[in-house]
Amino acid sequence: MSELNITDLSADLRSAIEHLESNKNLDEVGIVVRIGDGVAWIHGLRNAGYNEVLNIETPSGVIEAFALNLLEDEIGAVLLGDASEVKAGQTVRLKGTVLEVPVGPELLGRVVNPLGKAIDGGPAIKAKQFGLVEREAIGVMGRKSVHEPLMTGIMSIDAMFPIGRGQRELIIGDRQTGKTALAIDTMINQAKQNTGVVNVYVAIGQKFSKIARLVERLKAEGVMDQTIIVATSPSDPASLLYLAPYAGTAMGEYFRDNSQHALMIYDDLTKHAVAYRQMSLLLRRPPGREAYPGDVFYLHSRLLERSAKLSDALGGGSLTALPIIETQAGDISAYIPTNVISITDGQIFLETDLFYQGIRPAISAGLSVSRVGGAAQTSAVKSVSSHLKLGLSQFRELASFSQFGSDLDEATKKQIDRGQRLTELLKQHQYLPAAVWEQVVSIGAVTNGFFDTVPAPQIKAAQSALQTKLWADHKADMQELDKGGKPSEEMNELIKKVALSVAKGFAV
Amino acid sequence: MPGRISRRRIAEYVATELLEVKISKVKVLQQLAAFLVDTRRTAELSLIVRDIEYHLSEKGHISAVVTSAFDLTAETKKAIEVFVKSKTKADHISLSAHIDPSVLGGVKVSLPGYEINQTIAHQLTALKTRFKKA
Repeated sequence: MSELNITDLSADLRSAIEHLESNKNLDEVGIVVRIGDGVAWIHGLRNAGYNEVLNIETPSGVIEAFALNLLEDEIGAVLLGDASEVKAGQTVRLKGTVLEVPVGPELLGRVVNPLGKAIDGGPAIKAKQFGLVEREAIGVMGRKSVHEPLMTGIMSIDAMFPIGRGQRELIIGDRQTGKTALAIDTMINQAKQNTGVVNVYVAIGQKFSKIARLVERLKAEGVMDQTIIVATSPSDPASLLYLAPYAGTAMGEYFRDNSQHALMIYDDLTKHAVAYRQMSLLLRRPPGREAYPGDVFYLHSRLLERSAKLSDALGGGSLTALPIIETQAGDISAYIPTNVISITDGQIFLETDLFYQGIRPAISAGLSVSRVGGAAQTSAVKSVSSHLKLGLSQFRELASFSQFGSDLDEATKKQIDRGQRLTELLKQHQYLPAAVWEQVVSIGAVTNGFFDTVPAPQIKAAQSALQTKLWADHKADMQELDKGGKPSEEMNELIKKVALSVAKGFAV
Repeated sequence: MPGRISRRRIAEYVATELLEVKISKVKVLQQLAAFLVDTRRTAELSLIVRDIEYHLSEKGHISAVVTSAFDLTAETKKAIEVFVKSKTKADHISLSAHIDPSVLGGVKVSLPGYEINQTIAHQLTALKTRFKKA
């Protein structure tokens, strides 16, 4: 509860007593038969609906639960509050609604729990609208194909696996491979490039210390004002972890349905599936593969289908999703990872080996894909990226031969050198997303051979020098290039001229 | 092997038998008791009784409990009976009174599966919840 003003509290109390609700209708009631592990079994309430909110009357107030098991003799309801208050024999009423959360611009800059309650120590959220936590996805005719880019600022993604607004792109990898870092950089880039995209970061079972660090970083980068964080910790009940992504999506849908663009990050859905498994087992639902319930696919598919690009008739807004999945020992053929891979429109696969080799972001160019592809890529980046993927794939094939340096023919050596330069180029520091013009000039300089005389270890320095020189001497041209249109011949010549002059300073 | 019979079906059977009066009430209750002991479901007795009350209420026989902090007058009880009849369209209403000082004031009328709670304790709980949420 926020700080109390005793005078205000007294006035509120008097007003509330004067306007005490008087309900002359018969309320349908049930009783709690047994309670345990966050699940209350309730007798009665024959008209309860699936996912309907139930109010359990305890001595210290009403505790909400939602009905998930509608059996002939009893209802299994998952508690949304403190289970220690609930006891057998207590009265339960139907609230008459399904779960809703506050939505709207009032949530921007705030950290909330899945019920929409502020947990950042700030004032209570006073939202004017509420959104359904569980809601059907938009139908086919209400959608438009993904055609607008969502720039992440990460060169390897924007060049090789471009993401569009309304797309679902999975970020998958082992622990500590930089999955959350990719998501954070994408959020930072929305503020840096002034895209107007609203970020909704859903932390599912993440340590509050990690979320606190994230909030500080987002505030420092000036992103927090256009971000909503829905946070749950490992100590929260499984019901809140289960609801978190749906609640966050309801908040993102507000912006989508009001002709704006929003980005959803679910960190991470593996923990979400585990929480759902826990709930389902406690509700005595039959376990399936790996003890997950049979509808674990539906758990994620109905969540991710809500991310879409709307048609012009519905306002043209979009909701882009970056779900995160954690694998064990790089196994992307496990149950939950394969489920989510089949739902999403592509994946960014992060490899532990690459990470420890110093290639960060540790994106595997071979296993990553974007099924939307060029349709969601800026023309500027598209003009330089075609050779990038080819160069890297050729390098991967020849990588094992690089140890035989002197025994290779010139063409092979050239491909290996080019691949090493590209690999070096695509390394990027955290919290430093690259603008469109920066990506175009950097990638173009390497793929067009302007930096062929620069040793691979010095590529990043040469890249920095090139960007500095271009911005200092040709700022207007770079601002024009940053708009994303295909560079003209004159622009290409300019980049070539400056790149070659920079390369001379690094040539061996 | 026969499956487990749900409480609802047991209650429906008992309620029907009690109303049709083909077998005596004692016999029906003996049958129920024997069934529960035989199937080791005596722990469910209170819930089955609730279900029986519910089925009887659906067929027009309601047993209502009025809870108040103080003893109610005969007129008040009559008025409550009329109110319950108007809300439920029941043919037979059996009203029993229960004194519970913890409700502080007002009345609570409990019907099978339904309730109308106008007690002060209930209103205070609602107030407590509202301020907790704030």
